[in-house]
Amino acid sequence: MVELFDVVLPIISLVAFSLLTLPVFKAIRKSHRKTALTLAWFSTVFAVTGAAVANLTLKYYGLPSPQPFLNITVTDAASATLSSAFMIDGVSVYMAIIFTALSAAVFLYSVFYVDSSQRPSERYYAVMLMLTAALIGGVFSGDLLTLFIFWEAAAAGSGFLMVYKKTPAALNSALKYLVMIIIASAFVVFGLSLVYGLTGTLNFWAVKQALTTLADKHLLLLAFVFIAAGYAIEAAVVPFHFWLPDAYAAAPASSAAFLSALIDQGSYYVLIRVLVFILTPPGVLDWTFMLAVMAALTMVVGNLFALIQDDVKRLIANICVADVGYNLVAITSVTSDGLRGNLFFFLVGGVTTALAFMTLGLINRYGFKTLEDFSGLGRKMPLASLALFIAALSFAGVPSTGGFMAKYLVVSAVVNSKFSWLAIILVLMSVLQTAYLFRLVNYMYAKKPKDETKIKEPFKLLVPIFILVAIIIIVGVYPNIVLDLIEHAVQQFPLIP
Amino acid sequence: MSFALLLVFLLPALGVPFVYFAGKKSPKAAAIIVALLAVVNIALVLSTVPSILGSSDHRYVESYNWIPILNSEFTLFADGISVSMAVITSVLIVVAALFSINYMEGKKNLAVYYALLTLLSIGLVGVFITSNLLLFYFCWELMLVPAYFIVGNWGYRDAYKAAFKLFIFTHAGAVFVLLGIGAIYMVTGATDMFTAQAALMNVPDVAKWILLALTAGFAVKMAVVPLHMWLPDAHSEAPATMSALLSGVIISAGAYAILRLSLGTVFPAVAGTTVGIDFLHGLTIFGVISAFFGSFIALVETDIKRIIAYSSIAHMGYVMFGLSLFPSAAPEVGGTIAITSAITGTVLHLINHAVSKGLLFLSAGSVMHQTEARDIREMGGLAGKMPFTAVSSTTAALSIAGTPPFACFISEFLIFVGAFEVIKADDFYLVPTAFMLIATVVSLAYSLRYTSRVFLGQPKNGGEKTILDVPNWMKAAMAILIVFVIVLGIWPTFFVDLINTVSFV
Repeated sequence: MVELFDVVLPIISLVAFSLLTLPVFKAIRKSHRKTALTLAWFSTVFAVTGAAVANLTLKYYGLPSPQPFLNITVTDAASATLSSAFMIDGVSVYMAIIFTALSAAVFLYSVFYVDSSQRPSERYYAVMLMLTAALIGGVFSGDLLTLFIFWEAAAAGSGFLMVYKKTPAALNSALKYLVMIIIASAFVVFGLSLVYGLTGTLNFWAVKQALTTLADKHLLLLAFVFIAAGYAIEAAVVPFHFWLPDAYAAAPASSAAFLSALIDQGSYYVLIRVLVFILTPPGVLDWTFMLAVMAALTMVVGNLFALIQDDVKRLIANICVADVGYNLVAITSVTSDGLRGNLFFFLVGGVTTALAFMTLGLINRYGFKTLEDFSGLGRKMPLASLALFIAALSFAGVPSTGGFMAKYLVVSAVVNSKFSWLAIILVLMSVLQTAYLFRLVNYMYAKKPKDETKIKEPFKLLVPIFILVAIIIIVGVYPNIVLDLIEHAVQQFPLIP
Repeated sequence: MSFALLLVFLLPALGVPFVYFAGKKSPKAAAIIVALLAVVNIALVLSTVPSILGSSDHRYVESYNWIPILNSEFTLFADGISVSMAVITSVLIVVAALFSINYMEGKKNLAVYYALLTLLSIGLVGVFITSNLLLFYFCWELMLVPAYFIVGNWGYRDAYKAAFKLFIFTHAGAVFVLLGIGAIYMVTGATDMFTAQAALMNVPDVAKWILLALTAGFAVKMAVVPLHMWLPDAHSEAPATMSALLSGVIISAGAYAILRLSLGTVFPAVAGTTVGIDFLHGLTIFGVISAFFGSFIALVETDIKRIIAYSSIAHMGYVMFGLSLFPSAAPEVGGTIAITSAITGTVLHLINHAVSKGLLFLSAGSVMHQTEARDIREMGGLAGKMPFTAVSSTTAALSIAGTPPFACFISEFLIFVGAFEVIKADDFYLVPTAFMLIATVVSLAYSLRYTSRVFLGQPKNGGEKTILDVPNWMKAAMAILIVFVIVLGIWPTFFVDLINTVSFV
């Protein structure tokens, strides 16, 4: 039996560890072996959190017949529709697992990147742990309000990650980001209040039930427009995407990796949960055409802006926008195939962008920022260049990397739906993407460097980078490992009433 | 052995690190390992022949668990066409590796070069021996990355630019293939080409779009005009060994894929309808245009390798013409589409063209290696100085021109025989066939022009420079191909018999 305790355990433990990080780092600071102790501390954190998530997973799948929507309310069942609720299903379990894993990978990198041997920055780590807790809370939310609280905490909190270095550019972009987030929250709150007025509840289940029987859908349309616009701003769907490239490019590499691997995927999750699971057509509203148009726009704009970038970090940040578009393509199909594509894309997109940002963080340290600077990098920094090359292959969707499987799943989900034209736009954009990524590869391997000095690459930073490279290749060659995990969610999808 | 084909995949894959570390010590050792791996692959592929001939459907299949959720198995199969293509590919890899020993001598990073060559061989052979569409796509793209780096890093002049073109064009083609494969999966739920084939028969409306996407994608790799723009640059800037593989095998893989997937898997669903017939007629027209375009440009080009590159476009025109003679009648329910002499000739032409064009590119590479020139107007009289290269070039050029008793004659002859058989039923083919016959005359013209300009006549400027014939490893490599060109010309029976066992549907 899954108890409330099992669900909140990962969240509570992460929050507790986040608060404990502050005193623990005071102790670590006095010690001589700062890096080793920092690593030991975070290993403990993620071992405990991982165990908590694993406990929940095993208990949930150990149920005699796993229900598609396992609802756990904080108060007793009588007033369930008003209560704050948690919900477990295949999707949320999967998301919790990948959030924990990706967060651990980003932490391993951050420990070396922000150089804990000099000045262990406990607040930075504490914020990242808190954000992970908020994200996991978000995926287990069972009603729109709980989801709103957790998700806004994650979204607004990530502003701290952007300003970590306090450069003018970072402050500027973080301000822009926070303004956008606040506008988005206001939209969502307004939409939610309308939904509550219409249905008298915010519980996913109950809202869905109420909406299908709703006679007059005018107000619902208004509510939906506000909610969708709010979440679209946070997911950086074109035309609400302008904050993203600025924010990611100005943030330090470890923050950018965290933002792209976790926060970004979290924002897609929210979109999926609200659009696919709650407002599923044809019962409620037909939003798919509008979303298909936005998906096409997002892919085109993201890739075109990436094409004209000279700064490599901004280039990757624009790919993040394009990735939003690919994810939306899978959402528009509203089928279990689309869901499979989405969930697979979450992992692969997260890992690939994190890999790219981590590698760029390493490369940027030596002052290489623009495409011109990258000339001959393949000879100067062979290992870092190889990692970036693999990330480029995965972005471009070349087989034997995870990116291929992800694009294949998305394309095959949409090609047989009523938006088969989206598949054609997707493959054309994929070609464009290959072109500008190979321009980068061309700079790295074909051009002559200004000076031939070889750079000694820091081994410690390469460890987390190559862990991610290994994940991308393993997932690309033998995707079964992840697909098996996703399959539970996919099987449940048609069972949802 | 019931896992022979799995080994064909695994041995080179496991061999990559060995090749790399051997190459660090001695590039020659690495080259020999690559060649040995390819020889073992030939033996493994040939070991399936008895089971192919023995089985009722003339097919040998191995299947392993891969991605059950996507209904996708690691299925390896061999039939007459696959075996022929895989064997000839491995032969070219052996030759390329041996040729590299002298040809690449003194270049940097040879360990990486040989490791990439091994990686390339996995994709190249893999394309021919899998029936799973996803695995096919894996191999299809696996060719691309090593090819990009080999062309870029060890090529001539603006090599990375040519490599960039190669990658972008063929990848652009490949995403359309991906679209087609994705559509097949969604419509039929199958990722195995033989299972999909049966299921597609019920959905001719979707099938015609899939057919179009797949064929367009493959035609890029095959470099059919107007999708040929990447080929002249890539083939002429690549190192000679890579040119031989590009022209010999990689573009043939495009033709093979059209035969196997577009025509063999999807086409039966629209066969017999006007769409199907128009599609075949379209292929004919593109074939004729490619043959003419390639031949005429080859006739006026002055760069030694670009002549050969354009000749490859012309020959892919023949192949396209041959493919367009695919039986257009709808198969009866439960019946098969038997192989015709046109299709036998086409597959045989892929094989013959691979060895002939491989030999021609290696000879051209030898000339460039020894003289460091590449404009044929500055050459002449090399026959006296490089007798072996002159013989190999002449053999290859005559074969390319379709002169008996060399290899390409037989296959072109078979294609034309097939064309006349088809004309009896569909007189559309009359005019294209006449045009193709004229194109063969042009191909004779450019072949003769090429050999006479380079090897005959008086030496041009720089005649006092001493030019030696090529070193022994290069001679040995070319000798293997000379043997193939002559033997296949006189006794093609082995491959013809193998190919004739295949039936579609």
